[in-house]
Amino acid sequence: MPLETEARAELRELVTDFKPNDGKLMAALHRVQHRYGWISRESLEVIAEQLEMFPAHVYGAASFYDEYRLEPPANTTIRWCSGPACRLENANGIRDAMLATLGFDGLGERTDDGRVELVNGQCNGACEQAPLVWVEQPMEHSRRVVGKLTAASAIRMARAIRDGEAFEEGHETVF
Amino acid sequence: MAKRSRKDTKLSSDPAQLQANFDAIRDPANAEYQAWRAPERPRIDVAIDTSSLANGAAATQTAIEALSSDRNAALDIGRNHGYGMQWLQPLVTITWPDGSSVIYGPVTEDDAAAIVDEATGRDGAASELAIGMLAGKRGDIPSIRDHPFFAEEPRERRLIARIGFTDPESMEHYIGSGGWSAMARVLYRGMEPAGVRQELIDGSHGGRGGGGFPAGVKWNFLAGAPDPEHYMICNADEGDPGAWVNRIVMEGDPHLLVEGMTLGGFATLSQRGFIYIREEYPLAVERVEQAIRQAEAAGLLGANILGGDFSYQLEVVKGAGSYVCGEETGLISSIQVQRGQPRIRPPFPAAVGVFMKPSNVSNVESCAHVPLLLQHGHEWYKEFGTDGMSGTRLYSFSGDIPYTGFMELPFGAPMKEVLAACGGISGGAELKAIQSGGPLGSLVPASSIDTLILENASFAPYDAIMGSGGIVWVSDRTHLVIINEFLSTFVEEESCGRCTTCHGGNQRMTEIFRRIMAGNGRREDAFNLKLIDDMLQQSNCVHGQFSPKPMRNLLQYFREDFDGLVVDRHDSTHTIPAMTQYRVANSRDPRVEDAVAICPADAFRGNAGFRTIDDAACIRCAACLEVAPGAVVREAKQLEPLPVA
Repeated sequence: MPLETEARAELRELVTDFKPNDGKLMAALHRVQHRYGWISRESLEVIAEQLEMFPAHVYGAASFYDEYRLEPPANTTIRWCSGPACRLENANGIRDAMLATLGFDGLGERTDDGRVELVNGQCNGACEQAPLVWVEQPMEHSRRVVGKLTAASAIRMARAIRDGEAFEEGHETVF
Repeated sequence: MAKRSRKDTKLSSDPAQLQANFDAIRDPANAEYQAWRAPERPRIDVAIDTSSLANGAAATQTAIEALSSDRNAALDIGRNHGYGMQWLQPLVTITWPDGSSVIYGPVTEDDAAAIVDEATGRDGAASELAIGMLAGKRGDIPSIRDHPFFAEEPRERRLIARIGFTDPESMEHYIGSGGWSAMARVLYRGMEPAGVRQELIDGSHGGRGGGGFPAGVKWNFLAGAPDPEHYMICNADEGDPGAWVNRIVMEGDPHLLVEGMTLGGFATLSQRGFIYIREEYPLAVERVEQAIRQAEAAGLLGANILGGDFSYQLEVVKGAGSYVCGEETGLISSIQVQRGQPRIRPPFPAAVGVFMKPSNVSNVESCAHVPLLLQHGHEWYKEFGTDGMSGTRLYSFSGDIPYTGFMELPFGAPMKEVLAACGGISGGAELKAIQSGGPLGSLVPASSIDTLILENASFAPYDAIMGSGGIVWVSDRTHLVIINEFLSTFVEEESCGRCTTCHGGNQRMTEIFRRIMAGNGRREDAFNLKLIDDMLQQSNCVHGQFSPKPMRNLLQYFREDFDGLVVDRHDSTHTIPAMTQYRVANSRDPRVEDAVAICPADAFRGNAGFRTIDDAACIRCAACLEVAPGAVVREAKQLEPLPVA
């Protein structure tokens, strides 16, 4: 039995109402990520105990899904929409321009200071705003849609976010 | 007035008591809804949905609230769901005491004053923003039904009849507009589960997930399963990029889905139901969960519904960004605490489903039609549609069209007219292809447009599927292989990894597309893609089996475009980076310095006035072209054609 720390007790409290064999793994992982912004190794262990599963099984499931973060999030995530309507509006050029601005070789990378990351996003049907990105502050549960981008406006946005300047454009949406 | 709660409901198996229990919920809801439709003072409803928020509805709402509070205006502020014209979002509706309603848009925060003025009696203040009458008559504003975007919709909507007319977060509005009456009537009239299923079969109600399998027959499989523990599952993991029709139901009328799933539970003898919603739809998750809680509190869900013998528990499971969980066995795996990997069928879910118990997986729209079908009967339901597919269904339209949005269309609607309703292809370009059915779907050639209609049988001769409602219009402005590379990358990344045919095959397909786009196409590529196609079809689930379909369509109908990249190595659309180059056409133009400043790749060489672009450094993002059009130009870059074999 691992040492019971204050953090562990708090985690246990967070998932205490989930019963084993009741289809609650997704919900438990979501709740932990919502609270802490990511899912630590320790929380995987606590969830495993609560749901009477092996920690390896919980890790196996958690790592299968794109949206469970197994490391702390960056301050700002730029989520590039990869959908078809965006692709027809130079989304590939916008992606490459943001990668070059941030000094990345590909999606999923993070700046050296760890503050900004650029990830792949999935279409949710606000295609009238194509091409678009979502700018998210995971720890603040904040998400903005920045739409009708051009390569030039995407570069200005990525530079501002990279340089830590206030970036107020876009429209607030549900996180 | 104190809200009724389930403890006020009398337990009984007497039909009259069940009916009385429902009337006690319905009567006050009716009164509340009537008062909302014809309010004492004008009300401004801001559309709150994923699309409106992406267009700034939150700021619009805040501005209207602030202004109306500053002025102490005699009006109320409410909420509805956008009517379908997404390109005109944020949409706002004003409803006057006589029950007339006008839809306005796009209403930005700067338009708040015009809207508040209009609502408080300055007639015409927002007339430039008026789109159409939702209800009643007001001046010479035309009916919203006369808007060209809805030319192909039936005069009266069915599945989405409440959109615009209710607050989707209010159960009272749902009940006050006829909601829950189908479920209640089934219970107090003592209808048998088999009778509900038969009504679906009589209505020829086909599943809306893409396959079109008769929903009533599928529900029969579960109802007849020998193990008494049954589960009803709703597949709301709508992952096809470019399809968002399930989102419209869940954000626009979540109670309809909850009632449909409850009828599904009753009809299939299930005790418990799950609605599995994708993570990318947080507002849908919020609204469906809220609708479930409201129904539970009213005694319409949970133990002893309406005081009778039927008990049913319903809950939402939120996905986490895995497309393959939209395959029914993958979805079942995901619910029962595993990786969302599909497995081989048989056994089918009706025999072995969630928790190894008999289950049924139905699409959102398949379930949401059921209350309407029972309320109005199967003859009404069959008034629209074709011999093969009856009723209406939702479609979302996007791509190279001016009017992005959603419509409810009868099966059989002609695609040519639908494209006209979407405003035709934008920017003077020509239709190249119709992308239907998402990444496991199709690329139907433009030549089909005169005869293609919206039903599965019409797509089949093209080796294509209509799919689950997402239609993307692709013009000739963008090289089609860009769409193929996107779809191929998508199916590769979303492969669960179980079958080597699928994850390996899709990797090879993606590599070939990327190599071709890099100008290194090979003569054997078409042959190898055909081999990959044959092999992928041996995968265990539809993800692998259907993943080569868009590539197959490319080779079937767009061979010239394919060969253009592989053999001629030339791209006249200037959208394939390796076959495009950027050049300073007028180095004296002062805007060239803006181009130098915006370039993210430092690709400009030389001093001001003498700038050139280093082709090796340029990433072809087009930013320089945007800031200095004419001074910087984009042209085809002719690569060495493929040598003759």
